[in-house]
Amino acid sequence: MSTETSTTITTRINGREQSLRVDNADLLLDVLRDMGLRGAKASCEMEVCGACTVQLDGLPVSACTTLAVELDGRSVETIEHLDAGGEMHPVQEAFLRHSALQCGFCTPGMVMSVKALLEVDPDPSREDVVHWLEGSICRCTGYATIIDAALDAAEAMRGV
Amino acid sequence: MSEPLKVVNHSVPRVDGPAKVTGRARFTVDLSVPGMAHGVAVRSDHAHARIVAIDAEEAQEMPGVLAVVTAASAAPIDVRFGHVARDHPALADGRVLYLGEPVALVVAQTRRQAFKAARAVRVSYEALPAVMDAQEALASDAPLLHPDRVAPLGDAGLDAGADSLSGNLCAESAVGWGDVDGAMAEAALVLEDEFRYPMLYGYAMEPYNAIASFEEGSLVVHSTAQHPYMVRDDLARMFDLPLARVRVIVPYVGGGYGTKSYTKVEPLAALGAWVTGVPVRVALNVEEAMLTTRSDGVLVRMRSAFAADGRVLARDVEVVMDSGAYTDNSPVVCAKLANRCFGPYRLDAVRVRVRSVFTNTVPASSLRGFGAPQGAFAGELQMDEAADRLGLDPVQLRLRSLARPGEEILPGKRGIDADLPQDLEMLAASLGWGEAPQRGRGIGFGITASDAGAHPTSVAMVRLHADGSASAAVGATELGQGSRTVLAQIVAEFLGLPFDRVAIVASDTGATPYERTTGASRTTALVGRSLQDACEDARRRARQMAAELAAVDASAVADVPGGVTVDGEPWDFARVIKGWFGAGGEIVGLGEVRRAGEFQAMPPFWEVGCSGVVLDVDEETGIVALRQLTTVGDVGIAINPALVHGQDLGAATMGLGAALSEGLVYEGEALSNPNVVDYRVPRTTDVPERIELLLAERRDGIGPFGAKGSGEGAGNPIGSAVAAAVARAVGVFPRELPLTPERVWRLVNEAASRAAR
Amino acid sequence: MIGSDFVLHRPDALEDAVRLRAELGEDAVLYAGGTELLLVLKLGVIDVEHLIDLKRCGLGGIERTADAVRIGSTTTHREIERDPVVAAHVPALSALARNVANVRVRSAGTLGGNLAFAEPHADPPALLAALDARVELAGPAGRRSLTIEEFLLDAFETALEPDEIMTAVTIPLAEDGVRATYRKIAILERPTVGVAVAGRLEGGRFAAAPAVVVGAVDERPIRVEAGMLAGASPDDEDAVAALAAAARDAVDPVDDLSGSADYKRHLTEVLTRRTVRELARSEGAA
Repeated sequence: MSTETSTTITTRINGREQSLRVDNADLLLDVLRDMGLRGAKASCEMEVCGACTVQLDGLPVSACTTLAVELDGRSVETIEHLDAGGEMHPVQEAFLRHSALQCGFCTPGMVMSVKALLEVDPDPSREDVVHWLEGSICRCTGYATIIDAALDAAEAMRGV
Repeated sequence: MSEPLKVVNHSVPRVDGPAKVTGRARFTVDLSVPGMAHGVAVRSDHAHARIVAIDAEEAQEMPGVLAVVTAASAAPIDVRFGHVARDHPALADGRVLYLGEPVALVVAQTRRQAFKAARAVRVSYEALPAVMDAQEALASDAPLLHPDRVAPLGDAGLDAGADSLSGNLCAESAVGWGDVDGAMAEAALVLEDEFRYPMLYGYAMEPYNAIASFEEGSLVVHSTAQHPYMVRDDLARMFDLPLARVRVIVPYVGGGYGTKSYTKVEPLAALGAWVTGVPVRVALNVEEAMLTTRSDGVLVRMRSAFAADGRVLARDVEVVMDSGAYTDNSPVVCAKLANRCFGPYRLDAVRVRVRSVFTNTVPASSLRGFGAPQGAFAGELQMDEAADRLGLDPVQLRLRSLARPGEEILPGKRGIDADLPQDLEMLAASLGWGEAPQRGRGIGFGITASDAGAHPTSVAMVRLHADGSASAAVGATELGQGSRTVLAQIVAEFLGLPFDRVAIVASDTGATPYERTTGASRTTALVGRSLQDACEDARRRARQMAAELAAVDASAVADVPGGVTVDGEPWDFARVIKGWFGAGGEIVGLGEVRRAGEFQAMPPFWEVGCSGVVLDVDEETGIVALRQLTTVGDVGIAINPALVHGQDLGAATMGLGAALSEGLVYEGEALSNPNVVDYRVPRTTDVPERIELLLAERRDGIGPFGAKGSGEGAGNPIGSAVAAAVARAVGVFPRELPLTPERVWRLVNEAASRAAR
Repeated sequence: MIGSDFVLHRPDALEDAVRLRAELGEDAVLYAGGTELLLVLKLGVIDVEHLIDLKRCGLGGIERTADAVRIGSTTTHREIERDPVVAAHVPALSALARNVANVRVRSAGTLGGNLAFAEPHADPPALLAALDARVELAGPAGRRSLTIEEFLLDAFETALEPDEIMTAVTIPLAEDGVRATYRKIAILERPTVGVAVAGRLEGGRFAAAPAVVVGAVDERPIRVEAGMLAGASPDDEDAVAALAAAARDAVDPVDDLSGSADYKRHLTEVLTRRTVRELARSEGAA
């Protein structure tokens, strides 16, 4: 029986295969931030605010309450990946068009959350967007511009 | 300046947008310094106690631990800070005054090591009687929190309140004029009631954090501070350093709203660095942040006298603020609350007494609105109630008494620089006021004017570079309100440069000029004016240089966008600089705003709050659904309309939080909801169905192009507006916020039982 | 941050998980989505030495058996929300799963974890109880199954033995015409009260007493005797009012940040009434 308190994992981070050793008690958010991917933020640390949202195999998860070992055999995408090709993602562009941010602390999580929605539902209703983002807190904007940006991004991505 | 405006009054995309949507924007918590160690605080689990002993022996031996810092071990440093009165120890010194107060700082190489070691520090206490309620704290036999009172520092820009403070009185402010008792005696209607406004937590999503290091004889701190210069002053005092040797650098701030005004964790980090000799980061989690700063909960007793035609004649107000364990900024909030509780009306007589009281709870400090939400909850709601009792329309009732442009709301202060009656009419029209409401629906609104701007001290620098581009250096911080964008727009407009040829360097006390504070909705107007002054200075130098280079009289040189003309021939700034210096060089313009001349009268400007809601009440559950929110941004001119809308909606949404769901709850000595699960802030599902963000741009302010300020106003009337709307929907006027579903349900029951009688 | 180190076991077969559980005893905690467990570990409320990860033991998946819908215990709320078998046979559960917590918790949190943690303010138990669902347990002694009410003993306390592992939740296929619905009211983050109603309507009337279970407001789900609705229409105000009053009297809430006990009892009554009325408009359990 194992007595190891750390694990070697293989994972794909922002498209790149990697092998790393993590402590079992390490949280995904801390490991990502320690490797320089600091877009995802720690805020509530209780899964209710969404500032730490990343996509694990496409699913939005709270990196603050996910063990780093969960990366093993899976892929994770963070905000840094979206414009890695040199151009911004339509969701990012929509956020800028609609001024859907102020302090910016919630923004990486919000953008990842909206991206995750549009990847499973390319034509959400306003109610669908509100429901999906109910667990993402923004303390600055009052949300209306974020919801508008999400719907606008959906249109842009559908090529409408 | 020639019209039309090319950059100002346009919703140019915010300059920090791309960095923020790509996750590249750096907040203090994202920074690392080589060799940085981590500090985690050990916190008191008593509300009031003498510290008997701190046993750090086991902790000190744990892996990676560099030091366990206490007030005693930091000697000879006096660990207290405080900008009004220096009474707040960064680490408790002999006593703790609230549950959660830092008692020791464990510094270790990794955060986990510090975290684990902190759990191994054993503190023993001798519990003392705690006073958890402001009314109790005022009793003559209440335990004294500050038996050895610290004298105020005497900063002329900070109102320290009454001179003689005794017992648990933190501050006291009084405002008055006229014959209140006479007015009450002659009034057709006198309303007298008590109103309660909750303690709130601002919940800026980036919790407080700082990195401090001592380098080459200087203390360098990166932090989340809204006011880096105020923090610099506190740290200079603490470490007995000249101001020139304390540098506070603030990158993007993940939310401010006043919660990051003044000093928070910087002393902790600095003490850690001082003791260990290495850079130390202290980064709080949200629960610790909630144990660091909150806003004042208040009890307001208000008596208002009305004439039969609805004019408000006199107001008699007594307020008790629960201000927590230390002075912090409470005297200033106290003074502002005194000014902001009776409303922007022509009052024959006023008597206001506000007392800020120490209790064994988390220290209170600034929060958006700064006394106005608390005051307006009582003041505006009584206007609505008076209308109800007198059978008058509440819009008309207010119009009868609202101060007109130029009139004084506070005797001897600057006249109101806004058209409040027009604002109110805009608001009422947008809300559909006057149309018959359906069952269970209510409309509510309110109007406030806050003496905003804080103290008008601002210094700014503009630099014209050799290629004609410009950068501006300001001490203002970027909290999300868009300061960097707005200030760049102002500079671009005055210099006549394309917006993308202007850069802003900000909030580094070692590199940017002095800025008093970033708060009180002051940045557009006051920093805008000091930048305007700096642009004028830069232009003056450019004109002088051009005149000398061309050997012409000064009158032959004129300002044009992007440069000058010399006898009608355009010389851009680059040409002037090249001519003057030959190789390289730049033109530096300095500007300032100070309390003199047109800035002598206080406040520098009035910030209007004019907001309303339409809501439905589910009478069976008490759950409120917002059908509409309208705000009127009376800002003089919107330098960037999209950013003003963002501030108005953001402020109003925070107001909705306080109105409907937010409130810190103490149970015994501890907060029962020190986390975001149990403290409920607004979500996407709380967004009103319809939102109208209106602007009134009458160019009536002291800022550039007639600008005033924005950022707090829209939220100030929301508490009373929601309460009035609920009153109209259910038939009973509330007296307390938040109007949780249960509270609303109880009002419905009360209405039913009144109807049954 | 989790302050204590632990060994992580990731068995790839149920038997191995059962064996590990028996060997490690109290030193080990079962782990799947971690949406509740990791919060507790971060708070430092408990320290654990061993985690047994169940996600590779083949405990996932949803299938329709001869007489039931069988949901593997490590199935996430999101998977339940989107599953066609659940949508076809237990659409009320699809709707419930869609509204558990938030989308990130739904992405990782499992039905088994939800039931095993036994946080009282939860959604699934009330509906599962109303549908006569059972939890399947496996241990060294073999397998057994319990009803929801037999499994959920009290707040944070279940009938799971220290050497057992929950393998699945099975929901018996409903007879034709049986409808089910679940509604909740959440004052704060978690549900304050939830009501599940399941019953068959014939000619606009309940063929028999429907199953009515109130969740979230008490320590465990509370079944309310609904005999007064047998033969009655959901629009029969008196019968529904009597049921709602019975629900109100059946629960024993406590005062907390979401509200006073009085208010919660009142909400129970209101929500029960509204949920029964909604049943007539719902699509059905089957």
